[in-house]
Amino acid sequence: MNAYTIQMRLGLTAIVASAFLLLIAIPNWVTSPSNVRNIVLSPTFWPYVLSGLTGLVGVGLVLAAFREAKDGPRFDEPVRDPRQAGIRLAIMTLIMLIITLGTASIGMVWMSMAAFIATAALVRTRHPVAAVICGILLPLALYAFFAHVASVAIPQGNLVRLP
Amino acid sequence: MNAIDSVMAGLALVGNLQAVMSLAIGVVVGVIGGAIPGMSATMAVALTLPFTFAMPTIPALLLLLGVYKGGIFGGSIPAILIKTPGTPASSATILDGYPMAERGEAGRALGMALWASCTADLISNLALVLFAGWLASFAMNFGPPEFFTLILFSLTIIAGVSGESLLRGALSALLGLLLATIGLDLVYGTNRFTFGDPNMMGGLNFIAVLIGLFAIPEVLAMVLNPTGHLGKARSLGKNWVTFADYRRSFRSIVRGSVIGVVLGSIPGIGAAPSAFLSYSEARRTSKNKDNFGKGEVEGVAAAEAGNNGVAGATLIPLLALGVPGDVITAIIIGAFMVHGLQPGPMMFVTNIDIIYGLFIGLILSSFLLFVIGSAAIKGFKYVADIPRRLLIPGVLILCIYGVFAVNNNLFDVGVMFVMGWLGFLMMRYHVPASPFLIAFILGPLLEDNFRQAMLMSGGSPAILVRGPITWFFWALTAITLVAIIRAGFRAVQNGSPKIRPQQ
Repeated sequence: MNAYTIQMRLGLTAIVASAFLLLIAIPNWVTSPSNVRNIVLSPTFWPYVLSGLTGLVGVGLVLAAFREAKDGPRFDEPVRDPRQAGIRLAIMTLIMLIITLGTASIGMVWMSMAAFIATAALVRTRHPVAAVICGILLPLALYAFFAHVASVAIPQGNLVRLP
Repeated sequence: MNAIDSVMAGLALVGNLQAVMSLAIGVVVGVIGGAIPGMSATMAVALTLPFTFAMPTIPALLLLLGVYKGGIFGGSIPAILIKTPGTPASSATILDGYPMAERGEAGRALGMALWASCTADLISNLALVLFAGWLASFAMNFGPPEFFTLILFSLTIIAGVSGESLLRGALSALLGLLLATIGLDLVYGTNRFTFGDPNMMGGLNFIAVLIGLFAIPEVLAMVLNPTGHLGKARSLGKNWVTFADYRRSFRSIVRGSVIGVVLGSIPGIGAAPSAFLSYSEARRTSKNKDNFGKGEVEGVAAAEAGNNGVAGATLIPLLALGVPGDVITAIIIGAFMVHGLQPGPMMFVTNIDIIYGLFIGLILSSFLLFVIGSAAIKGFKYVADIPRRLLIPGVLILCIYGVFAVNNNLFDVGVMFVMGWLGFLMMRYHVPASPFLIAFILGPLLEDNFRQAMLMSGGSPAILVRGPITWFFWALTAITLVAIIRAGFRAVQNGSPKIRPQQ
């Protein structure tokens, strides 16, 4: 991405986000009592001000983008294989989703072991044996600390319960 | 309590093995975290934070402050040995540190980095002790309008100087402020963006947001491009820094320390600009200015003094005003809150023993940094050998446990992942994350003080310009905005890029 693309995309996103907040999100999802005498004390006042400012910054970014050359130099490292990279990011998203939704039933320790090993495989580690060993030991060590030292109720799940 | 009683009370809190060990362990963790390219002092502090919840207050805070101090110095080790700054603050150290390493004088460069860091750290800590109390007593006169204008000024400067563009910094700060509105309204208790979910009613968990914003993007960046590799570490060589080197560079070290103290006490500027300013001032005034950039030991000293001079000074606005000086102190605020403390002028009245305990601990940290830093220099090759593709999954697991431990709530883990994606997109689009996090922390304070001021005045905005303190902060805000906009226009006219390749 070059400077033009970055500024333009950010600006347009900010304008769309601002419009969404002003027209849909704040009227529907911010509750204001009917007896507020002064608008500046209303729960909606601050979100409206911030949304408006976001829109203005978005316009500023779009105007700033027009000062940049459309075919200007790239500023980020090109990814070697964008399609493969996209697939890896999608798999990582799936891992995150499984961690969030499955930890309660599977247990944090087992889920962390699986997540460590899966992530290490995803980033194509050259130390698979070390990854498996670390993937088993690190969650166990963290469980020991948080459950027995910090007294945090780490979810154990329905499979195997640790002491 | 008079000053001597306060010092003795502080000493009673710090003068035990647990507190000293916490500080030492913190410095070790910080040096290692700073020395691993791809980690940073910020990430090290964020990942250490959950481990402090079960600790007593003073050891917990000293552990985090130790990580902070160690992290800032630790970043200089890979900067000198493999031309990769462990933290952005160490970028200036590369300029002369790496050429020295190429000449076989890595040991001398690292030694000077350590001596300069410890000296600057000590000066910065003494500045904190001298000025924080005075500033806090001054801030006792602040009411809601004064705090509103102070926070507005802080946010303006943070948004303006954190990145390469005022607009992108402002966008980041606005996103943080918007996210801070989630939860129950401060005055009426009505729902704002909670979608009927009880998990959202208390607002988003601060620690989930910060870990998501600073650690998870590194995981995603590694997934996107796993083949990033490190440079080759150089040997330390036979030369070591001498007292003559130190004496020759002493003026630059003191100047850099003062620059660090001044810039560090202004919220949002941080260590990297301070290091570069200190370096350029040293080059401008040095007798050996021609050697700068080719391996001049005074250049290393100036850069390191500049970035470590910030470390104590960033705590001045944090302790005296409750406003974080940089992103790391913004994280440390979380530790204060978890332990039931609210940094700010009242803390100097209600928790003066803790304040003095921290002061004593911080001064002790300068000496611990010297001892631990010396060992770290020799042990760096083992740290450099940790494969990043094993480190990153480890960071992910640390994040999961750490965020869950805050509230025993898996919802927070989900928030962390969502914030991680947001942080990753911000990183890709060169939107600085620091203004986002600091605005997220200061947002409720800003709104709360604004609404209190409006309640006091019956809705009249005239209260926001009610006296010299508010005029002073409005003037500073205006001057800051004008200066940033002018600098932006100048950069455009000179054709300098507004987006630089990320380090």
